[in-house]
Amino acid sequence: MDKLFRQRIQLLYFIVFTWCIFVFSGCEPKSDTPEPTTGKLSFHFSHKIDSEPIVFDDMRYVNAAGNHYLVNEIQYFISDVTLYHSNGTPLLLDQWEDIHYVDTDLPETQNYIFKDEIPQGTYDSISFTFGISEEKNYSLMFVNPPESFMFWPENLGGGYHYLKLNGKWLNELNQEAPFNFHLGIGQIYHSYPDSITSYVQNYFTVHFPVSAFGVKAGETQTLELVMNVENWFQSPNIYNHDTYGGDIMQKQEVMALAVENGWNVFSIEFMTYK
Amino acid sequence: MKNLTAKLLLLIILMWTTSCTNKSTVTPYEPTPYEIEIPFGFPTKLNIPENNPMTIEGVELGRYLFYDGRFSGRTHPDSLMSCATCHRQERSFEAGVDHPGFPGGFPHGITGIPTPHAMLPMINLVWNTTGYGWNGLLYPTNPNPDARNIEDFVRMAALAPHEVNGDTTRIKNLFQTIPGYPELFEKAFGSKLITFTNIGKAIAQFARTLISANSKFDQYMHGEVQLSQSELNGYMLFTTEDGGDCFHCHGGFGNPLFTTHLFYNNGKDTVFNDIRDRFAITGDPMDHGAYKAATLRNIEVTGPYMHDGRFATIEEVIDFYSTGVLSSPSISPLMHHVNNGGVRLTPQEKADLLSFIHTLRDDEFMTNPKFGKPEKFPDE
Repeated sequence: MDKLFRQRIQLLYFIVFTWCIFVFSGCEPKSDTPEPTTGKLSFHFSHKIDSEPIVFDDMRYVNAAGNHYLVNEIQYFISDVTLYHSNGTPLLLDQWEDIHYVDTDLPETQNYIFKDEIPQGTYDSISFTFGISEEKNYSLMFVNPPESFMFWPENLGGGYHYLKLNGKWLNELNQEAPFNFHLGIGQIYHSYPDSITSYVQNYFTVHFPVSAFGVKAGETQTLELVMNVENWFQSPNIYNHDTYGGDIMQKQEVMALAVENGWNVFSIEFMTYK
Repeated sequence: MKNLTAKLLLLIILMWTTSCTNKSTVTPYEPTPYEIEIPFGFPTKLNIPENNPMTIEGVELGRYLFYDGRFSGRTHPDSLMSCATCHRQERSFEAGVDHPGFPGGFPHGITGIPTPHAMLPMINLVWNTTGYGWNGLLYPTNPNPDARNIEDFVRMAALAPHEVNGDTTRIKNLFQTIPGYPELFEKAFGSKLITFTNIGKAIAQFARTLISANSKFDQYMHGEVQLSQSELNGYMLFTTEDGGDCFHCHGGFGNPLFTTHLFYNNGKDTVFNDIRDRFAITGDPMDHGAYKAATLRNIEVTGPYMHDGRFATIEEVIDFYSTGVLSSPSISPLMHHVNNGGVRLTPQEKADLLSFIHTLRDDEFMTNPKFGKPEKFPDE
């Protein structure tokens, strides 16, 4: 009886001792925790005309061609966001999910938090692809809305719209006329509209060479990425809706003008740390 | 000490054996999950509320309820009305212009009051995330918890004077008395006590299984068949801005739902008096006269067309989009041909477009026995 009792007491001591080791070793302050060396980046998208946030559905704007116009909605993709470190090293972000959809009707699409842990330091510039590059732009890669609603018909080149900028302008007869300023893969026709000889990739790179900014360890840098809508219509090509009409998906020569105008459509307005 | 150990051992054995006895006497509620098979190119995100997971037992019960005229809460042969009274499988679960009881395809309720709108196709509903109904009055994030999904539509249909004009208490009490139904409810929801909430859940589960995805166009997408030249011409018109420009609202290869489930003023009118348009939901002036773009799958059998059923045939619809579009401040910007009256198709182009639309007909779906009326009801 006594022997059994002693054995049990010994077993109890052993259990308590082991438990203490586990508990107290877990509570010990970790003195060798490494300091963070990376930070995060996010984009907030906003949309302006003449430096002011867009008032949608209101015929209050005048473009460089003198067209009075309004904007109903804007939907687009950006992809391949890349940071350029001050030492010249490029850093392609979000390679898991590198195509981002923005929709002025869906606030949740207007914030884009990159998954990457970005090495702290100073970055000289940032770039992204407006639209989707040829190697990534294939049909049915988005099956869920809203991205799937951006599909670009197979017979026009397939993949997805880069941009839908929908609005209305006052035409020469002073009628409200809808315009669908849509960008995507263009077509070269042998005989319009049935015979297409080749396709044109209209995506383009937007680069901010003077937007040096720092990424601080342990913090999130937020960049305000602004689409200045009036710039689609003014430089270097004056875009006149009366000339080009309400639709351009099958007019490569017009989409080419839009692509040329896209160089300064985006700007970075301000940066914040959180 | 030995005595104490023996007593403890006995107690543990007793507890173990007792618990085993209890388990053997209780019928476990273990419904079988129902997996929705996602067709090629269809969205992977499904609109299934968390509080109503799909089960084989729930779907089976829902099918009985969908077709049982006692859903009206009445038993007199003249007073029976079920979902299937209006939603006919052979018409892609719409009434259709040839409905024997609803001339022209305009349904009315059990009391003779007409429904305020024409019907919408009741297919592929599990992919509708923007709102059910012509104006999207039922949507998942609605602050009103009673107006969010198909389950709520069932209750609204049961109560509406222009539909069943029923009473939910009376309906559930009637099903409680019908032999076989309490057992089916137990299998589906774990209780023989029938509630109207569970009636709605079961019918909604069945409705979510109504998937149409095997039309000639689907087979073309899979590479199984070739379209005729006229059908291909029509497809080209369907998917080009300088053609019919149907695809921005009605989908295509990249959006095989053949709808965006979004709401558009497509230029039918210039004055808007309907209190049930999209404006009624959003309060946005740009939504005056806007309604859901219906799916074009099986569209050839689902007339009449538009929210008010103003067109009896697809030919009339094509004529409208060709030359009948009217301008208004809230017309959708996607109707960019409006100042020409429409897309101005030639007779041959109209014929080609119609040929393509016929390829969206899915006869297998409209004759599939698993979606049809059960051979007999639980009490038969």
